[in-house]
Amino acid sequence: MKLKVEDVVVRLGSRDVLKDVTFEVKEGELVALLGPNGSGKSTILRTVFGVLKPMKGVVMLDGKEIGSVESAARILGYLPQDTPITNLKVLDIVLLGRTPYMSSSLRRPDESDYRVARKALEEVGLEDFADRVFSELSGGERQKVMLARVFAQQPKIMLLDEPTAHLDIAAQIEIMEIVRQKVEEGKSAIVAIHDINLASSFATHILMVKDGKIVYAGKAEDVITEESIRDVFGAEVSVRRYGRGVYVVPKLKPVGGQKRIHVICGGGSGQNILYALAEAGFRVSAGVVNVLDSDWEVVSELGEVIDEAPFSQISDSAHERNLRMVEESDAVILANLSVGWGNFRNLLAAKHAAELGKLIVVNGTPFNQRNFVGESAERIYEEILKKAIVVGGEGDVLDAIRKLLG
Amino acid sequence: MRLTAIIPLLLIFNLLAVVLALGVGSSGYDQIFRILTNKADDTTKTIVFGYRLPRLLLAMIAGASLSASGCAMQALFRNPLAEPYILGVASGASVGAALSVALSIGAIHSRLVFAFFSALFTAYLVYLIGTSSRFRDQTYAILLAGVAIASFFSGLTSLLIYFAAQSMHKVVFWLMGSFSNPQWEEVYFALPITIAGIAYLLITSWNLNALLLGDEHAAAVGINVERYRRSLIAVVALLTSATVAVSGVIGFVGIIIPHTVRMMVGEEHQRLLPSTILLSTAFMPAIDIFARISTSGELPVGAITAMLGGPFFLYLLMRRSI
Repeated sequence: MKLKVEDVVVRLGSRDVLKDVTFEVKEGELVALLGPNGSGKSTILRTVFGVLKPMKGVVMLDGKEIGSVESAARILGYLPQDTPITNLKVLDIVLLGRTPYMSSSLRRPDESDYRVARKALEEVGLEDFADRVFSELSGGERQKVMLARVFAQQPKIMLLDEPTAHLDIAAQIEIMEIVRQKVEEGKSAIVAIHDINLASSFATHILMVKDGKIVYAGKAEDVITEESIRDVFGAEVSVRRYGRGVYVVPKLKPVGGQKRIHVICGGGSGQNILYALAEAGFRVSAGVVNVLDSDWEVVSELGEVIDEAPFSQISDSAHERNLRMVEESDAVILANLSVGWGNFRNLLAAKHAAELGKLIVVNGTPFNQRNFVGESAERIYEEILKKAIVVGGEGDVLDAIRKLLG
Repeated sequence: MRLTAIIPLLLIFNLLAVVLALGVGSSGYDQIFRILTNKADDTTKTIVFGYRLPRLLLAMIAGASLSASGCAMQALFRNPLAEPYILGVASGASVGAALSVALSIGAIHSRLVFAFFSALFTAYLVYLIGTSSRFRDQTYAILLAGVAIASFFSGLTSLLIYFAAQSMHKVVFWLMGSFSNPQWEEVYFALPITIAGIAYLLITSWNLNALLLGDEHAAAVGINVERYRRSLIAVVALLTSATVAVSGVIGFVGIIIPHTVRMMVGEEHQRLLPSTILLSTAFMPAIDIFARISTSGELPVGAITAMLGGPFFLYLLMRRSI
C-alpha cells in the first residue's frame, strides 16, 4: 500500500503549521520523521491519520483519499505521543485496537478479536501481561502495550509519534526492533523521533522537518550531515560513518578556544586520539600519513591532513609542511606509532616539537618493539622523551593537553 | 472478581432491597404476601402501591442514573473524582425549583418542570462555553465552565431562598435530596428518560474504555470522539436533570458506587457499568429505608449520602495518591 502526501498545508489558528509537505511511503519502508520539538512531526502524523484536515493538498492511499477517522483506523495504525495513565487491564487496551472491526451499533469483542489481541501481545513479547493493570507497568512495557494495540488494528501503515520518548536505551532499541520486524512483514511505518542515531540505525528513509517543511529527504547516509543537523536542529555535532551506518556525537564547547592540535601518527595509532580531540572541541590535524592509511581516513573527516602517496617515503615537501604545522599548532602529539624508514622523518618532526616545548608523547608499547629503523631512531626517541610530556596511554592525552595549555 | 459471581450477588441485594422497601413500616411483611395473593385491604394497598412502590422506584431511578452518569463522567474527564453534577445540573435545577416556589407556582408539577428545564439549560450553557473554540483542551474547559456556572447559580439560589424565606423550607428540604412524598407522576416522568439514557450508556460502553486512553487514542481506534462526547454529555445531562428534578440533589452516589464496583471488577466498562447500576439500585433504596426509619420523622437522603461520601472521597484520595 502506497501513501502519498501531496502539497499539504495545515493551518492552526492563523499559523501554517505545515507548509507544502510532500512525500511518499511505500511498502516495506520505515520512514523516520526527524526534527526538533515543534517542527511539525506530530502534525504530519495527525494529518496523515485524519485528525487534522489539510487546508490545501491531499493525503492519498493507493491513489484514494482517506475518508473518516473510522475507516482510516483499519488501514492506519496511529499511536499518539502521550501514553495514557489508566487502570484498564493490558488485554482490554489491546482489544481497543479491534474497535474498527466491531459493529458500530453495539461494540463487543468476539472470539476472533481476543485471538488477534493475544497474538499482538505476543508480538511485543508481553503475552503474560494480559491481566496486568496498565498503570502498574514500566514505561517500556506501557509503550509495548500501546504498540500491541496498534498491531491489533492490523494496519497497513503505522504512524508512530515518538514511540521511544522517555524510555531507556534498551527499551528504545527493543521498540524500534519490534517496529522494524513488523515493517519487514510487508507493512510500512512513519516514526516521529528525536534521536538521530536511532533514526539512522532503523529507518530506511529519513525526512528532516523544520518549521513545518520537509527540508531534507533521503537515505540516512545521504541526509545526515553536520550541515543538515546544524540547519534543522541548530546543534553542532560531528557525524561519523561506519560503512553505511551514520551516527552523530556532540561537539563539546571548545575548552581552550579554538586551539590547534597536531597529531603525528600513522597505521591507526592516532584515530582514537583524533576522535577524542575533535569531540573535545579542538581543531585537529595529522601528518604525515599515507593516503588510505586508517588514520588518514579519520583525519580527512575531522580536520586537516598532511599526506603522502600510499606506501611511499615522506617526501621533502610533505616533511616541510609537517614542520610548519608543528610550528603553527598549540600542541603536538606523538602517537604510539611504529617507526620505519618510510616515516622516519615523522620522528624528526616530533623532535622539533619537543624542542619547542609543546610535545606530548604517547609511550604505550616499548619503543624497541615498534622501532624498525635501528639505533639512530632509538637515540632520537630518547632525546624526545626528555623534553616532552610523556603519557602511558591514549586516555591520558586530554589531561596532558590541559596541563600543557594551562 | 468474576462478573458471573457478582451479577447474581447484586441481584440478590436488589431483591432484598425491594422486599425491605415495600415491607418495612406499620404494615408488615405478611401484607406483601396478602397483596400478592390479592387478599389485602385497601389501606394496605394504598400504602404499598400509592406510597412505597413509587418511592422505591424513585430511589432506584436516582441511584441508577446518578451512578451510571458518574461512571461515564469519570471516563470522559479521565478523572476519578468527576461526578454527574459536573455539568452544573444540580445548581441549575435548584435555581429552577427555587424560582417556581418564589413565584408561588409551587405545585409539584411546575417545580419538576422548572427544575428539569433549568438543569438542562445549565448543562447546555456549560457545554457551549466549554467547547468554545478558544479552548484547546475542551474536556478540561467544560469542567471549569461547570464549576463557574454552578457557583453562580448556587449563589442565585441562596438569594432566592433569602428573599422568599417564608415559603422556602420546602425547597431547602428538596435541595438536600429526598424521596419523601413520592408521586407516580414523577415516576412516569423520570423512568422512561432513565431507561433510555442508561440503555444508551450500556450500548456505547465500549467507547468509554477508549475515552480512558484520551481523545487522540480514542480517535486512533476509529471513534468519532467529538460526536460521542456530545451525545454522552447530552445523555448525562438528561439523566441527571430528570433525577434532580424528581428527587433533589443527592450527592456522591455518582462517586461512591462506581468506585466501589471498580475495586471489584476493574475499569473495563462493559463489566463496570452494569454492575454499577445493579449495586446502585440496591444501595439507594437501602439508604432511603434508613432515612425513613432512623428517626420518628424523615432524614434527607442527600445528607446521608453526603456524610458517607465525604470520608469515602478522602479514602479515594489517599488510596490513589492523586
